[in-house]
Amino acid sequence: MSHARKTWKFTLLAAVSAAAFGVTAASAQQFSCPRKGGTLVFAQEAKVNSLDQYTSSTISTRNVAMNMYEALMTRDENMNPIPELAEKVTASEDGMTYTFNLRRGVKFHNGKTMTTEDVVASFDRYKKVGIDRGILDVVDKWEAPDAHTFIIRMKVAQPTFLENFSSFSVPIVITPKENTDAPPMQMKPIGTGPFEFVEFVADSHVRIKRFDGYVPNPAYKDIDGFGGYKVACLDQVVFRIVTEPGARVAGLETGEFHGAEDVPAKSQAALKANPNIVLKPLQNFWVQIATPNLSFPPTDNLKVRQAIQAALDMEEIMEAATDGAYRLNIGFQYPGQAFYTEAGKETYNQKNIAKAKKLLQDGGYKGEKLILLTNKDYTNMYTAALVMSEQLKAIGMNVELLVMDWPASVQKQQNTTDGWNFFFTGYGTNTSLGGIAALRFHAPPFNTYKPKKEDGPDKEFVEHFNAIANGKTLDERKAAFAKAQARVLDQVLALPFGSLTKVQVVRSNVENFRPFRIPRMSNVWIKG
Amino acid sequence: MGRYVVARLIQSIPVLILVSVISFGIMKLVPGDPAVLIGGPTATPAELDNIRQNLGLDQPFHVQMGRFYAGLARGDLGRSLLLGKPVLEATIERIPVSLSIALYSMVLTLFLGISCGVIAALKRNSWADQAAMAFALIGVSLPNFWLGLMLIILFSVHLGWLPTGGYVPWQNDPVGWFRTATMPAVTLALLQVGLLARITRSTMLEVLRQDYIRTARAKGLPEFLVIAKHAFKNVMIPVITVIGVIFSVLLSGSVVVESVFSVPGIGSLLGSAVLRRDYPMIQGGLLFVATALLMLNLLVDVLYAYFDPRVRYDSRS
Repeated sequence: MSHARKTWKFTLLAAVSAAAFGVTAASAQQFSCPRKGGTLVFAQEAKVNSLDQYTSSTISTRNVAMNMYEALMTRDENMNPIPELAEKVTASEDGMTYTFNLRRGVKFHNGKTMTTEDVVASFDRYKKVGIDRGILDVVDKWEAPDAHTFIIRMKVAQPTFLENFSSFSVPIVITPKENTDAPPMQMKPIGTGPFEFVEFVADSHVRIKRFDGYVPNPAYKDIDGFGGYKVACLDQVVFRIVTEPGARVAGLETGEFHGAEDVPAKSQAALKANPNIVLKPLQNFWVQIATPNLSFPPTDNLKVRQAIQAALDMEEIMEAATDGAYRLNIGFQYPGQAFYTEAGKETYNQKNIAKAKKLLQDGGYKGEKLILLTNKDYTNMYTAALVMSEQLKAIGMNVELLVMDWPASVQKQQNTTDGWNFFFTGYGTNTSLGGIAALRFHAPPFNTYKPKKEDGPDKEFVEHFNAIANGKTLDERKAAFAKAQARVLDQVLALPFGSLTKVQVVRSNVENFRPFRIPRMSNVWIKG
Repeated sequence: MGRYVVARLIQSIPVLILVSVISFGIMKLVPGDPAVLIGGPTATPAELDNIRQNLGLDQPFHVQMGRFYAGLARGDLGRSLLLGKPVLEATIERIPVSLSIALYSMVLTLFLGISCGVIAALKRNSWADQAAMAFALIGVSLPNFWLGLMLIILFSVHLGWLPTGGYVPWQNDPVGWFRTATMPAVTLALLQVGLLARITRSTMLEVLRQDYIRTARAKGLPEFLVIAKHAFKNVMIPVITVIGVIFSVLLSGSVVVESVFSVPGIGSLLGSAVLRRDYPMIQGGLLFVATALLMLNLLVDVLYAYFDPRVRYDSRS
């Protein structure tokens, strides 16, 4: 118990002291805009479905919405949980109660001052329609004893609760109480962020403008991840939906766009040579991955899976899939992240054809068809499958690509265990969120590797995974993560190929734009 | 004529019902659902289940179909799953975009297509004929996404005359509209010019062989009047049919062209709806497009009567 108390204290002290440090440092030199004004036009590839952040986990929605919304807690530049609309977060020693003291004087875009009444209503809506509402399953109830104190009471203590709670995948953003009755996908984008909503023309653009009533978080001196001290220097930002990569590049070259993302790798050399354009690579954006189907031959055979793993040349796969924008990466965390480990290194990027052939022979492989389920909506997934198929043909496997569009391939992967052996996808947000999120897809109830019903989920992996969630100390959880990753790789419950680099690009007159998981428009200005 | 029009309108009702039934059935048979798109590639299965529940996609097929037709009976086409707004509203928002670009494109198509066709027919087997037909053929042959990108590179990147894409409503800024609509309209038009030019040419050649043209020339009428007064009006009868088809194509938009130029028109709306399995949007959008096509067909039939006095739509005919 005393161990647990220390953990809670450590976690919270880390969060709160960061904020406290921010106050001290902040008073010295808080960010102020060297220049205010202008409209920044940012071209993004993916279409925005809705700006109801409770009901979308897509990057395209988050790109825009998280410039308008804020949550009680969020993640900093290194993905650590930090307070945002909360001034202070305190946990009881038994981990059963969390108390959030709200920052005072925070305004919504409708002019109203935020109180716990809005926080309660926002949590109620999240519990009802938030698509990641499962993170609140461990919560018994929430209450607001006064206008500035919000309390969460747990059903069971969960050491990683704040980690889950501060997730930006589907963040629990705070919106005015009167806005929370909206049905799913239909909530007006009213938040407390530095930018407020102007217009959304589907398939065309979203326009936001500076919120003059914005109150920056005084605990910080500069933007920090999704939080920090944020200031809107720009008058307006227009997120233009430009699905054609060539058009995004052309718009950057002409100056019609100040920034863009997902610029094709083939155009990057030309853009780099252009003095008016600056490339902002964001390494480790997602893990390119294939997950097997253990319920369908021949991938029900461990030896066959290990043969496939032994044959793969990850450099070749990643080079082709990303046009060179990648890093080799073992497993499910990136170097620099708290849970990063090289456990299972010996299984990665072996390129050992002799070993692969021997394993196939040992496994009794008789030329059964191996079906790679992929899609062309995400070309990197398709290309990874294509290169992998060629590499496996080289060891004598009978490989076939099954190409569908993205929704159909996901449905097939989720609902059937027949007719496919590997499913191609990418782990983006979850990998960046930390150890427990990075491996959640392999754990019950998801079990993306489709274990046979009679076998059930891999017991050893599940044991390690549970230890990541429930380990008393960070070291215990990290050790459990290493074991879990090693188990996944040893049993070939997934084939992580490497990490993809996302490239954001801005014109050289855009100042202070730092690559991040969303295009952050705060603390960015356009040179005169 | 009035009775004919009313009869045609009544006949169109079962067609529209059939369209809605087929579109509903086919889309439900296609694997995949909008939850996957809303959730994105990193959504967990639990998140996807929650999305399905939010959108009512967890309901049985017959319940979803019943809801759709109950709504349709009230004039409610439903609500787009992905846009979160009524289908009718989403569709109506796109009509001015697609209509204005379609009209602009139609003007270009008519001018270029009929001009090329008439010149080619009048100068048959000359260099002008070859040049006009080659131009028409190139327009048909070029992939529209490639043509669009080439136009962007030429007119936006190198010359800097036009923006790379986007759309400015006519009523907000006519000059802005012209600048944003020109490249999509030209791209769409060049695809249709070839078809129209070839139909015009072959029809014109046939008409020029008719006895009444020979008679007109024998009477000593100037060639210009022979062509303009006697030949051209007769050429228009088959051409009108083609024009009707072309305009319906232009109006329903081109997913590719609208994507290249980031134009929020009907084409991109329906294209996105299909790719993202937005069932109500697909059904509503297809109903709109089907209605527009039926009306266009009716208009073409009515125009026949104007151009060809032999065509009459009264009860005795």
